[in-house]
Amino acid sequence: MTVTTDVIRVRSGSRFWADAYTSMLRFESRNLRTYLTIGLVIQLALGAGMTLMYGFYFGDLDSAQQTFLVTGIPTLALIPIGFVMVPNAIMEHKLHDTYDYVWSLPVPRSSSAMATFTIFALLGIPGMVVALLIAWVTYDVDLVVSWSLVPAVLFTSSIGASVGYAVGHVVPQPRVISLITNIVMFLVLLFSPIVVAIEQFPGWWADAHHVLPFWHMSVVIRAALTDGLVTTPVPISYGVLAIWGAISGVAAAMIVGRRR
Amino acid sequence: MTADADSPPLLSPQRRVSGWMRAYRTLFRWELLGSRLLYPILIVSQILVGAGFVIGFGLLIPDVDADTARYLSTGAVVMSLILVGLVVSPQLIAQQKMEGSYDYVRSMPVPRSAALVASMSLGLMVAIPGIVAALGVATMRYDIVLSVHTSAVPAFILTLACGSLLGSAVGHAIDRPQATLLFTQLGIVFIIGFSPVSFPVERLPHWLSNLHEFLPIHHMSLLVRSSLTEGLVDATVKSWLVLAVWTVIAATVTGVVMGRRA
Repeated sequence: MTVTTDVIRVRSGSRFWADAYTSMLRFESRNLRTYLTIGLVIQLALGAGMTLMYGFYFGDLDSAQQTFLVTGIPTLALIPIGFVMVPNAIMEHKLHDTYDYVWSLPVPRSSSAMATFTIFALLGIPGMVVALLIAWVTYDVDLVVSWSLVPAVLFTSSIGASVGYAVGHVVPQPRVISLITNIVMFLVLLFSPIVVAIEQFPGWWADAHHVLPFWHMSVVIRAALTDGLVTTPVPISYGVLAIWGAISGVAAAMIVGRRR
Repeated sequence: MTADADSPPLLSPQRRVSGWMRAYRTLFRWELLGSRLLYPILIVSQILVGAGFVIGFGLLIPDVDADTARYLSTGAVVMSLILVGLVVSPQLIAQQKMEGSYDYVRSMPVPRSAALVASMSLGLMVAIPGIVAALGVATMRYDIVLSVHTSAVPAFILTLACGSLLGSAVGHAIDRPQATLLFTQLGIVFIIGFSPVSFPVERLPHWLSNLHEFLPIHHMSLLVRSSLTEGLVDATVKSWLVLAVWTVIAATVTGVVMGRRA
């Protein structure tokens, strides 16, 4: 067998990147198919579950409180995908020693990263819609759905996936990742003004939520589902979320681009 | 295999007991040192969960009255006791399976029951700070009055033992660590969200409250709550019985699964 080595072509360009991206989309979605299915089920259970669960804890609610609860559910259904499932999926790769293998594939790392990101950013949406419908049917509140729901959901979902992606790559130890994801869920489910008004929270803690992404996520989604319920400026919430997206994007790019 | 001349094939009961105790102490130390970085984190997270639960739901629930506060605080105690056994121990086992140290521990020349009791003791050690924190925070923040009965001791021990045994049955029986983790996540959701641990059982739909008559969680809460408060709930003999039956079932399953040879 003769091997010609005189022409070494460096493959690059947008066509190559797009091909690599679609290949990695296929690779990741098949690689994670069990995990993704389970994730969808969990998300439905969590979204629908939280609707009922908060109902058990809260007792009787008036109609404004019910609307807050219903419009907070989509945010709750999106958060675990980005903040929990993405880091855990990366942890899976690390534990199964496929982490380095994936990076060794002859595709641009950015295409691989984008493929993972895309899968998880889109994965959350069907579950979120169903969770919202269940909440809506359960409480029968009046919602005013506007077109801005589409960008709000895509944006929230993308920010969640990119922060989760950065955490998964920046934190080396699987145990620390699972600790972080547990803390995030705890923070989100109990200490975040997602299903209740932020005015109900003590001042300093409400201030913290002006910096954290969770409350802002609920603001942009609630603003797209109701009329007059959101009294804080929505563009500022978009801005804070964009900053979170930028920071996590840079952090992920630094780790992903690093050679060892 | 031929028996060594120095060690008789059957040990006397005293030597077996002392051998078991030595194995227990060694394993306790071994597990404690082996995960010495993990235990502080676990204890801190138990404290945060215990105290956080009481404060967190206090933030979310629109009006917290005295009964709500008593439900929340005693619920947090029950939650600490259940979660350590039912969630933390299967996760630790799953972790050992993922890291490959699981078979190693099983290969050690010690009774497996000693290993089980050692990890349960560690569970208790982890749970106690969370319980104290939950009750402390509740009394400070909501000014509630607790009246601790003597039945608290058996109620706490039975709750913890039942939870731990169920947890280790699950952890040992399910081979795939990921499946164990999922199971425990769903378990957390079910216990926190759909079990009358921190709110009155009447708020649940009828079929679910009926189901809880047969599950251990509701009875754990009844026993612990009635041992810590006056006039909120009454624990009956039925609760003790249901919990005892679950403990026996879990112990049997754990024994069978742990005793089997790979």
